[in-house]
Amino acid sequence: MRRLLFKAAAVALVLPLAACSTKGGAETNSTGVTDKEITLGVMADLSGPFKSLSTAITQGNELWAKDVNAAGGVCGRQIKLETVDHGYKADTAKTLYPQIEPKVLGFVQLTGSPVMAALGKNIEADKVTTTPASWSSELLNNPYAMIVGTTYDIEMIDGLSYLQEKGMLADGDSVGHIYVDGEYGANGLRGSKYYAEQHKLQLHDVKITSTDTDLTNVVTGLKGQGVKVILLTTTPKQTGSAAAANKALGLNVPILSNNPAFDPALLKSPAASALDKLYIVASTVPFSADIPKAKEIAQKYAAAGYKEPPNAGTPYGYAVGEVWGTVLKKACENKDLTRDGIHKAMQQTTSADTGDLVAALNFGTPGAPATRQVYVAQPDASAPGGTKYVQPLFEAEAAKAYKAPHEGQ
Amino acid sequence: MTTFLQLMLNGLGKGAVFALLALGFVVIFKATEVVNFAHGSLVLFGGYLVLVTKDTVGWAAAAVIGIVSAGLLALAVERLLLARSRHADPFSLALLTIGVDVIITEEVVRRLGVSLPFIGDAWDAKPLQFAGVTLFRTHLVALGVAAVLITAFFLAFRYTTWGIALRAQAENPEAAALVGIRRSRVTASAWLIAGLLAGVAVLFIATQDFSGAGLSRGTHSIALAAFPAAIIGGLDSTAGAIVGGLAVGLVDALSTEYISFAFAKSAVFLVMLVVLVVRPAGLFGTRETTRV
Amino acid sequence: MSKLLWIPVAVVLLALPLYLDASWLKAGQYMMIGAVGAIGLTLLSGQAGQLSLAHGFFLLVGATSYSVLSGTDDDLVGLGLNPLLALIGAVAISALAGVAFAPVAGRVRGIYLGVASLALVFLGLYLGQAAGSLTGGTSTGRAPATFELFGFSFSNEGTLIVAGVPLRGTERLWYLFLILLALSYWLAKGAVGTRIGRSWRAVRDNEAAATAMGVDVRRTKAGVFAVSSAYAGLAGVMIVLWFDILKPDENEFGTYGINTSIAFLAMAIIGGLGSIPGAVAGAVVVYGLPQLLTLYSTDLGWFTGSVTPVLVSSFVYGAAIVLVVLFEPGGLAAIGRRIKELRS
Repeated sequence: MRRLLFKAAAVALVLPLAACSTKGGAETNSTGVTDKEITLGVMADLSGPFKSLSTAITQGNELWAKDVNAAGGVCGRQIKLETVDHGYKADTAKTLYPQIEPKVLGFVQLTGSPVMAALGKNIEADKVTTTPASWSSELLNNPYAMIVGTTYDIEMIDGLSYLQEKGMLADGDSVGHIYVDGEYGANGLRGSKYYAEQHKLQLHDVKITSTDTDLTNVVTGLKGQGVKVILLTTTPKQTGSAAAANKALGLNVPILSNNPAFDPALLKSPAASALDKLYIVASTVPFSADIPKAKEIAQKYAAAGYKEPPNAGTPYGYAVGEVWGTVLKKACENKDLTRDGIHKAMQQTTSADTGDLVAALNFGTPGAPATRQVYVAQPDASAPGGTKYVQPLFEAEAAKAYKAPHEGQ
Repeated sequence: MTTFLQLMLNGLGKGAVFALLALGFVVIFKATEVVNFAHGSLVLFGGYLVLVTKDTVGWAAAAVIGIVSAGLLALAVERLLLARSRHADPFSLALLTIGVDVIITEEVVRRLGVSLPFIGDAWDAKPLQFAGVTLFRTHLVALGVAAVLITAFFLAFRYTTWGIALRAQAENPEAAALVGIRRSRVTASAWLIAGLLAGVAVLFIATQDFSGAGLSRGTHSIALAAFPAAIIGGLDSTAGAIVGGLAVGLVDALSTEYISFAFAKSAVFLVMLVVLVVRPAGLFGTRETTRV
Repeated sequence: MSKLLWIPVAVVLLALPLYLDASWLKAGQYMMIGAVGAIGLTLLSGQAGQLSLAHGFFLLVGATSYSVLSGTDDDLVGLGLNPLLALIGAVAISALAGVAFAPVAGRVRGIYLGVASLALVFLGLYLGQAAGSLTGGTSTGRAPATFELFGFSFSNEGTLIVAGVPLRGTERLWYLFLILLALSYWLAKGAVGTRIGRSWRAVRDNEAAATAMGVDVRRTKAGVFAVSSAYAGLAGVMIVLWFDILKPDENEFGTYGINTSIAFLAMAIIGGLGSIPGAVAGAVVVYGLPQLLTLYSTDLGWFTGSVTPVLVSSFVYGAAIVLVVLFEPGGLAAIGRRIKELRS
């Protein structure tokens, strides 16, 4: 026994001296790029609370990669996606990141605000350009965050302008804003606060957490305050509860929500009949949008044989791919397919075209959202994907004047 | 004033369901002194069976299936696991239920996937307007059902042989065994009843009116919020379960409006903490004393 | 464990950063965080018999204290202390928080105490959100100061090459965590073997008898709560260093929430309540399994669809709790002892 122990000890002592061929090779700057392939990362939530959205985005990413590769790839190289599932858990993501990071040139998807918060510093240190599937302008303090679409604060400002223009809201009115505590909600609230100040609205804000789902008591309180409009920066379940309470309590005011607050599944819930007052503001098109590119994607989606019901994540995921395609092409022209090169190419991209899946994007101003244009949609059970437009792309005056938190820094 | 009245109604309606859940904790605790941490998973399991059967057999039959199967699962947990570890103390058995809870909950949540299933078809989202306030049908039915079940339980507890056996066992297990009360039967029946109550409660919880969400991990959290209800009333007091349940419903509704929504969730637990410090066995619980 | 066996174990642990990739090191560090916290809980719940589901709260206290004491952000409260001082301060503050809760344990016993302690988790959830100037708020959180020891930074700064392997932030943090874990282990072992440990066990077994033997029950409880919370606080500091961020939870199932409290209790139970090596083994099961399965799943392409590594780990530790209570109340520690007896 004793001899065995000594042997083990001796072996263990010698091991480090014989170190170590597998580890410690100097990191090259051309990570994720070979002569034949460009590898892009996807850190998705395929099993957690945002599974539905993230799966659809991933499918959009895949459809794009397939199309690009069929057309000969970018810069003479095929696009390869490296996908991992973190299940919306920051601790899981934190261990997965060092595993996937050395393999990829950039991330076309990084879902989850806690995940983005946990990895923000790494992304900056590793200079890896990343598209978060989170649209908070707070994230723009990270120069490597490439947000495709507008941000929650601007969605709110544009949406409130729309309601006022349509006569559903007047200066001096009382307005309630229910928001989820965290980066998502805080950013939406930033927008409504800005607009409320400009238009002397009395804003009653209520902070809730992402797992609260019964908002009856909150809406009861808002009714007592005599609100004319309810704003929602919430999860889909919470949107359902607020809408149902709005109707049940006889309040019946218009409801304005950010894009992630709606999920087509609501149309099959008991809240379905209460959704007629809901207006959704978004910068990416609904799945069934009446534009050629969206129709094309819907067809490809059907052809690809995915089993999940579609949602707006798919055209968005495809649009992100298109933006990446533009950036990669620019980097190719600059003959610099390194991470630094990608970042430079992103800043040179002042009008990425996605066939109107998203408004034209300008990544030229650090800290500023890439667009301030939005659509307004309403739930519609008859449309695949669950929504129909009521207002095509527009940008409100108030949104033009608004300064995002990290703009011009 | 209308706002206050409406909040009281909301609070009482929810309180009735919390009382049903709390009663489930109390029955098991009285019979065996075990705190059942797996109650939330029984709630989820019952709801899940309603969900998978309601399209084929219709809602009413599915509701019965759900209630019965939650009861049978509770019985199975007791017979197959807890009863096999006869030498373990109530403390260890409570820990065991944590393990059971994790397994059942994770499996049901996995099977649910991304759907948002609501299972209160008969009463959900059909509010009644009355004199400026809204009465949620789910709340009304829940209050009625809770009143009936709790009264029935009281009567059974006082006047049936089963009730007497259970009380005897709660009072003094050794003496109860000596006079021929079969411990295993009393214990098994307590678990069965707790499971049935969980199965009833879920029909009110996974509704638009009550939780705003269908069956999900959140349903399990709501069952967790019934813990303070049981503790406030006193874990071994049936009357306490009712008072605790209604107290939790009201504290939640009123602190949402008059303090803040973010605080409301903590408020329920803080009230529980205060009650425990002042009366360590809850408002109506019997206090154990130690003499040196 | 035989004294001699420690040598190869230590050597292997010291050599691992030279071989393993950063992801594996991260996973290992996570287990060490779990081990430190679990040692604290096994002392409280196992040695002294005080059930607590508040461990997640004390983790948050430690994490926040470290970030505030060492913080230098302009718009948040930060004292800019030396990180080592901040770490010690955070542990001390957590211990005080434990002492403050101890009187509740004087009034409430057993299972009631466990449920009462749940209230702290909800209090922590509320305070984490409400005290944004300390925690940075749930929106952005706040970055903790990089740990430094006598001018040596535990980050990617500077170059340090050992046996041809550059030691960057992850490798350096491994050694820091290893030291903290070793220290925690050694102190706990020490305490259990002395009068302190005997007074804990006396309180657990029978408070009345303990009083009769001259043990001051109230002080003993305050003491064990202080020790246990100090361990949790240290684990909290480690967790912000591991994440590079302090982010208060958005709901009760977050980093400092109910699930965390239950996970720590699971570690203590699986390891065998009261056993310190058992707590470490429990941490490897409960915190190690999900991490390792996740890493393997991407390597091997296991786990498709709804069966995820996190889910499988939950099943394993749920089942482990049940099996331990049913068949081996002494947990992994008792199994270990039995194997040793068989061999000798």
